[in-house]
Amino acid sequence: MSWHVGDPDLAAYADGSLPAPGVWSVEAHLAACEGCRERLTFDAVDAGWERLDAELDAPRPGLVERALSFGGVPATTARLLTATPALRGSWLVSVTLTLLLAAVLAHYAQPLVFLALTPLLPVLGVAVSFGPGIDPTHEVTVVAPYSTFRLLLLRCATVLAANTLLTAAASLALAEYGVRIAGWFLPSLALTILTLLITPRLGAVPAATVVGLGWLSLVLGTRHSTSLLPYTAAGQVAMAVAAALAAVALGFQMSAFDRTRPLPRRFR
Amino acid sequence: MTLSTEVAVRATGLSLRYGRAVALDDVSITLGTGVTGLLGPNGAGKTSLLRILATALAPNAGELRIFGEDPLTGPGRLAARRRIGYLPQDPGFHRSFTAFEFVDYVAILKELTDRRARHAEVRRVLDAVGLNDRRGDKIRTLSGGSKQRVALAAALVGDPSLLILDEPTVGLDPEQRFRFRELFADLGEGRAVLLSTHQTEDVTSLCREVVVLDHGGARFRGTPAELTALANGRVWTSDAREPGAAASWRTGTGSFRHVGTPPDGAELLAPTLEDGYLTLVDLS
Repeated sequence: MSWHVGDPDLAAYADGSLPAPGVWSVEAHLAACEGCRERLTFDAVDAGWERLDAELDAPRPGLVERALSFGGVPATTARLLTATPALRGSWLVSVTLTLLLAAVLAHYAQPLVFLALTPLLPVLGVAVSFGPGIDPTHEVTVVAPYSTFRLLLLRCATVLAANTLLTAAASLALAEYGVRIAGWFLPSLALTILTLLITPRLGAVPAATVVGLGWLSLVLGTRHSTSLLPYTAAGQVAMAVAAALAAVALGFQMSAFDRTRPLPRRFR
Repeated sequence: MTLSTEVAVRATGLSLRYGRAVALDDVSITLGTGVTGLLGPNGAGKTSLLRILATALAPNAGELRIFGEDPLTGPGRLAARRRIGYLPQDPGFHRSFTAFEFVDYVAILKELTDRRARHAEVRRVLDAVGLNDRRGDKIRTLSGGSKQRVALAAALVGDPSLLILDEPTVGLDPEQRFRFRELFADLGEGRAVLLSTHQTEDVTSLCREVVVLDHGGARFRGTPAELTALANGRVWTSDAREPGAAASWRTGTGSFRHVGTPPDGAELLAPTLEDGYLTLVDLS
């Protein structure tokens, strides 16, 4: 036999990527050439074992990761999100219990606690999702090529989504208050984006504290009026505008999250 | 990994302040292929320097190039980060992760998105640190030495051209330290490794060059032999403690070993690298 199938063609044939005329030629040759058949068998089996090895090694995704994948989140993103502290079972259970308590209070007394508390839950979730001293792998995360801002946004969006689902479920138990009880969504969104906006200057926890205190001042300051200001039509429009403006401002300073800056004294 | 003699790090006049406290003062350092040791007492500025070189911190002043890229610019920082492996002083882990999952998580952060290639890389680095047989164990169940190996495996993902290791052998037993040394020696072939350590034995056995930091400043830069030579004629032995010596301690044989300015007629000893280091740093 004067010629043999080259390695690239044999590899392409083995993984099925060789185009049709080449396949016919290789198959005709393999029928007559034992040497090439042996090479093919060995390579194919070897690759097969490698693939099997990789599959067996791959860790079985946990509950959160599977839920995210089920919801259409890409596998790599789902893996990154499993490290979000506010997506841990213990945190989600705490949020659920808090919402249940607030809903019970609203049902038997008045909705103030529910309306004041619900927009703060995603803010707290965001505060514990990123930063030195909070995320144990923060330093490794910051020096990786993956965009810090993108990771932060992914985590925040997921925290906000989880909180929205839980709070929406809790709201269903308070149907007697009508549509007004669902007015927590826009404040949740606005407060979360505002927290993100000032995080590069203050750090996540102080930013969430400032925003949270501001929100409580607003709610408690208007609690004696006929309706809580943020839950009026004008208040909802104001919250939507605040969320939109904060989102635009956030877009302008996305590089601030990726900019290295000295760690606070306690983390040195 | 690029096998070359290119300069990995060229830093000039780096300074870093935390408020009024000076962490680094006008430090210049150049790193090429091989293992460079970084010695210095606690608070000397070692970790601050490593964080700056790893792009976790920005200096207040000075110029830094990592493989020719300026990490203070967005594109330069990204290009530098793609070639850096960093083991922080106190690596943290997500408690629920297994060793494999944690390294896989870091591999995704290092832009390895193809699942099969990424898992092969995770297996490779876990094998390199001798943890492949424990890859399915939860990190919280691993010993301190094994956790350190997981963190090192994560630093090795992507075969970085510059490895920055902040006290990787702290808390390890002698055998584990020996294993790490073997590994670092192999890693130093064809890439730049900056190794911060308190173990002078690590420097003696591994490093081509050594830098000594003290009070935020670079006090020495040279070979381990040159650092050792600083103590030539400055190490002596006697039967009693010498109050005038910079350092003085009783050895296992009962005699005292001193580093400093010897008195006339003192019985001089051959210095070690630790003696050279003690000669250099402010022990007050």
